[in-house]
Amino acid sequence: MSEGDIRLEGLVKRYGDVLAVDGIDLHVPPGEFFTMLGPSGCGKTTTLRMIAGFERPDEGEILLDGSDMSSTPPHKRRVNTVFQNYALFTHKTVAENVGFGLRYQKISKDETKRRVDAVMEMVQISELGERRTSELSGGQQQRVALARALVLEAPVLLLDEPLGALDARLRIDLQVELKRIQEQLEVTFIYVTHDQDEALTMSDRVAVMKGGRIEQCDVPQKLYEEPNTAFVANFLGSANLLSVEARAAGAGCDVILGNFTLKSESRPEQAGVGTAMIRPEYVKLEPHGSEGENRLPGMVEEVVYMGFHQDVRVRLANGDLIRADVPNDGDSPEYEQGNAVSVHLRAANLRVLDDYPDEAVDEAAESDDIAASTAE
Amino acid sequence: MSTASLRNPWSKPRFLVGITWIYILWSLLPVLLAIRFAFNSGRSRTSLQGWSTKWFFGDNSFSVFGDPTLQDALTHSLVLAGLAMLIATPLGIMLAIGLQRWRGRGSGPANVIALLPLVTPELVFAVGLFLLFTTAMTTIGLGTTAQVIGHVTFSMSFVVVIVRGRLITIGPDVEEAAADLGAPPLAVIWRVLLPLLAPAVAASLLIVFALSIDDFVVSQYLASGADTTTVPMRIYAQARAAPTPALNALATLMLAFTLIALGLAYGVFKFFSRGEKGGSAIEQIASIDSGGGR
Repeated sequence: MSEGDIRLEGLVKRYGDVLAVDGIDLHVPPGEFFTMLGPSGCGKTTTLRMIAGFERPDEGEILLDGSDMSSTPPHKRRVNTVFQNYALFTHKTVAENVGFGLRYQKISKDETKRRVDAVMEMVQISELGERRTSELSGGQQQRVALARALVLEAPVLLLDEPLGALDARLRIDLQVELKRIQEQLEVTFIYVTHDQDEALTMSDRVAVMKGGRIEQCDVPQKLYEEPNTAFVANFLGSANLLSVEARAAGAGCDVILGNFTLKSESRPEQAGVGTAMIRPEYVKLEPHGSEGENRLPGMVEEVVYMGFHQDVRVRLANGDLIRADVPNDGDSPEYEQGNAVSVHLRAANLRVLDDYPDEAVDEAAESDDIAASTAE
Repeated sequence: MSTASLRNPWSKPRFLVGITWIYILWSLLPVLLAIRFAFNSGRSRTSLQGWSTKWFFGDNSFSVFGDPTLQDALTHSLVLAGLAMLIATPLGIMLAIGLQRWRGRGSGPANVIALLPLVTPELVFAVGLFLLFTTAMTTIGLGTTAQVIGHVTFSMSFVVVIVRGRLITIGPDVEEAAADLGAPPLAVIWRVLLPLLAPAVAASLLIVFALSIDDFVVSQYLASGADTTTVPMRIYAQARAAPTPALNALATLMLAFTLIALGLAYGVFKFFSRGEKGGSAIEQIASIDSGGGR
């Protein structure tokens, strides 16, 4: 099956003076689970709505399997959408909702019934066929919305925060199920969310968006381990950001932090003043006086108990504050305020970002609340 | 007792309940009295003289069904109300959908102007229409056509209010969803939008009917003679000349028609919006009703 290839070329959308989407180039191969991740107002939903045909791009092209569909109206596009608030037809039963789109395809009655039954079984709502949609729970309504879109067997399915209105436990169940269905049908999924967990657990690839542009697009693991910018680092998980000076050295670079010189295996686009990033779980605390490369002395300033780990905040000798996640696995020591420690920032995990330093610092301040909320 | 409720916030608000009941009784009293005299067996409209239905069905030429002028008035009122209902509702629905979708320059003022008839004094509105039909649009002139146009014009604003309220509840998503599933634009309207609007459509039809059958000022100004006399006009004219309980009987019939229309509107609304959350049906009917008393 090679249908469902989506290509966006130089897509731009303006609302008055506001640039909602500012030049997006994207290629999603058939059968991929592709996620657009970003805060509200980053242009992810607008991009999705342009692919669906609800909005017309001001510039650029939208290609499905190689042919431009920018001027095709929504009812003729071979893409279907699952809406955030489900948008079910409340005057119809569940089965009528699911079968709605089949009326506009030239299919026999028997075939219609067979396909409706099959898709309702796939999303586990077989026994709800005669119910009215208003009698269903949120999770069931979401399944109906999904079935209604899947029954048409379009090569591309667009999902606009489909789990946004559900409670946490149900979300996790449905995440697993969405992924199963996507793999089973080999349909291209384009999924929009602001939830980093959803993006990381389900997607083949993720595009992190900001201000109408794609900030970075890659497989989840790469995005998490090797973010290019402070925004990406902060949006996916939490990150320690340090103002440093980078100097090229060998395959990686030397990172100058105050009076200390650390090694990093990363290679920024350009040397000079920049930002270095390390995830709290990679910050290793060792007994005071430990020797070796990439070790800095520090003093524990605050310890927050988080259940499965401790959030230890250490003031480094150069004055920066750094967060370390220490697992509560019974082996790690318990830290207290005032403990002197040696902080090990491994070269493999210390990453110099591509941001210009001003930008990175602004963003770090901006996204403080994001980092804090993910830590809680 | 009011001090008791001030001291004890958990006690029943007896004082407020009392005021509410007094108001309800006071507002019903004149109506009940008028109905009572419709069934008076005597000729008086001021002193009680036993029970009878002769002012409705009596064979004397003064009863509603005996006096041809009263019958004509009733027929004309029903024809006017029926026409106004069938014309104002579809037009109002289109106007509401148009206003709802219209974004950008001019949509703000258009919104206000479309609802202006709701607050325009009816007399001003009627005099304006009178001048229009007697000076500028003399081909139409006064008469039934002018009356229908007048009723349609002022009742359309009510349809717009009702239908827009419903459109907002429905939201734009279902239309997008229908298009997304392959429904062409006309099918979106027929298979999704109109069925979802059904309660508002039913409410609109019956509200326009109730407004039109109640109307006096516009009907009066745009009437051209005896054959364009409506029930309220007939009652007003005869009340000043030689009133009999037949007028009360006629008014009672009018009240019955209006109540049946409102009851149907409520029932149909409830039927179409069954299973939906929130008390929107009651609120909508209530808001219509208070508007109808202008």
